[in-house]
Amino acid sequence: MATATSRRETLLNILAPVIGFLAAIVILLIIVVIVGETPGNAIRAIIRIAFGNPSRTATIISTAIPLYIAGIAVAFAFQAGVFNIGVEGQYFVGGLVGAMAGIYLRLPPVIHIPVVVLAAMLGGALWATVPALLKVGRGVHEVITTIMFNNIAIYLMNYLVNKPLSGIETGESLEPQTRAIAETALFGRLNGFFQALGWRIGNHVYLDYSLIVALVFGIVTWIVIYKLRFGFEVRSIGEAIDVSRYAGIRVKRVQISAFLVSGALAGLIGLQEIFAIRGFYSYQIAAGLGFDGIAIALIGLNNPLGIVFSALLFSFLRQAGYGLQLYTSVPNSVSWVITGLMIIIIVVTNELMSRYVRNLRKKEVGV
Amino acid sequence: MNIFLEFIVRGLLISSPIAFASLGGVFSEKSGVINIALEGIMLVTTFAIVWGGIATGSFLGGLLFAIVAGMIMAGIHAVVTVTFKVDQIVSGVAINLLAIGVGRFLSQNIYGQETQSPFNSSVPPDFLGINLMAWILIPVTALVWFILFKTKFGLRLRSVGENPEAADTLGINVTLMQYSGVLLSGVMCALAATVLYPSQWVTGMTGGRGYIALAAMIFGRWHPVGAVAASLLFGYADTFRVMFEREIPIPAQFVQMLPYVLAVVVLASFAGKAFGPAAVGKPYRKGGE
Repeated sequence: MATATSRRETLLNILAPVIGFLAAIVILLIIVVIVGETPGNAIRAIIRIAFGNPSRTATIISTAIPLYIAGIAVAFAFQAGVFNIGVEGQYFVGGLVGAMAGIYLRLPPVIHIPVVVLAAMLGGALWATVPALLKVGRGVHEVITTIMFNNIAIYLMNYLVNKPLSGIETGESLEPQTRAIAETALFGRLNGFFQALGWRIGNHVYLDYSLIVALVFGIVTWIVIYKLRFGFEVRSIGEAIDVSRYAGIRVKRVQISAFLVSGALAGLIGLQEIFAIRGFYSYQIAAGLGFDGIAIALIGLNNPLGIVFSALLFSFLRQAGYGLQLYTSVPNSVSWVITGLMIIIIVVTNELMSRYVRNLRKKEVGV
Repeated sequence: MNIFLEFIVRGLLISSPIAFASLGGVFSEKSGVINIALEGIMLVTTFAIVWGGIATGSFLGGLLFAIVAGMIMAGIHAVVTVTFKVDQIVSGVAINLLAIGVGRFLSQNIYGQETQSPFNSSVPPDFLGINLMAWILIPVTALVWFILFKTKFGLRLRSVGENPEAADTLGINVTLMQYSGVLLSGVMCALAATVLYPSQWVTGMTGGRGYIALAAMIFGRWHPVGAVAASLLFGYADTFRVMFEREIPIPAQFVQMLPYVLAVVVLASFAGKAFGPAAVGKPYRKGGE
């Protein structure tokens, strides 16, 4: 009998994000009507921006790459009961350390690219170290320390990019940025490969090496979480920290490791923008991905496989926002509104369902 | 001497939005609900105060709009965390995302531009050279202290944050107290809006002050006076940078960093001693609900 309930539980777990998404679409259409646009127009606009031509669909995948990495970074910490709000600062620092390796090292491409990836991970992990040690060693709540470290990172990057690491010649009026990254470290695009497979995407879309990085680390993270002993320890701490302690798991050590792994993954978030799109590090690189990652991890149930879908969903909603802005009178900002509401609906649905499952369990025990 | 007075007065103005928001954090967390949505709530109240000011032509109208908006946003947090017992940090993150959209969406629909509002002339009067509402911080701090520590309501609110089971057994309505705590944090965010540039709304103008307010609250050991004192520390550090940036040899960014570094150091040295409400962050499930 227990298996029937747990099977139902798994089903309900998957159902919550689906309900959340559908509810978000309904809310979107209500907003569309309030603004004075017809739902038909809005849906056409969304379909056009998302699936109008292969390049547009590829753009959704492209935008999903950093979102996916942000999602698995947050999820890894989550699995160990650590709330890493510091992903934001960790990718700022990781990106800069990676960029430094890309600018100042002279290596052949086959070595240089893996080196910058590792450097970025090292930078991210470095920025997670102090909050991790303070949480585990001294019991300081990681939510507060990581928020502080996010702010420190912003000012530190601002200083470094403006002063010692600035690559701007006097007289040039550009945004503050580093020197250009060496050719050997730049991320090339895979568009040719996809075109050869018959997918008619344009050359302007960024389906670059960061896609490979995301896939590789997605698979590795999944294996670590679900197939390795370390991952088992991580998950048992996330589920019941006291039980894990009695079971002899070295909770502190595992939590520190998970926090650092989370930071290392966070370091990878900026790779696409820095190594494929810009070719230098700038203080202007996209902000807020760390916070998006929290929502993406949550919707993807902290599972690297589920996060594939939630990252694509997020990316789709962002693009839908642009589509509405472009083709209708609905402003782009609506995508933030429905993203926020969608998260709330999903977590509330989760709660209601787990109450339902608890009731089922009680009945089972009673019978 | 003149410049010293200017520093004192400007510092109060710069500190006051953080201080009001940190008082909001105290109300919410004393009742047992973590509120990292302060940032998002403020994003909406800062829009509402300008909206109300322009629409009604009076500052009080603006304040009313801001209070209602603050209570709606805080109300969402209360429904999600108190009634549905969802993780309080997750709810806060969602509200912060939602709030970015709400401000921009309303601005686009009301003023036809997404990133800023027109100018609002219905602002609070000046007193001794700064916005009157910054001075109001002083009596409000005293009032919050009085409410929390000298009234029956405050005692009940705090007991719910410390031990909801015991409070429930004594006949205190846990849900009502937590709703009150969270909604009062919305009101405090409305007061924060009165001192945070009420003459115009610009997207993202809260600039992380909600998070700093949260740190100030912890720094101030969940006590209203402590929270406000910590807010003043953050605010004055920033004022010092604004006023003397050119005269100090240290790069401005390091001065800007200082309050955050200081917060981490202080938090680390507090370590091991719990000052927060015992049941903060733990949803109360009556009878294993």
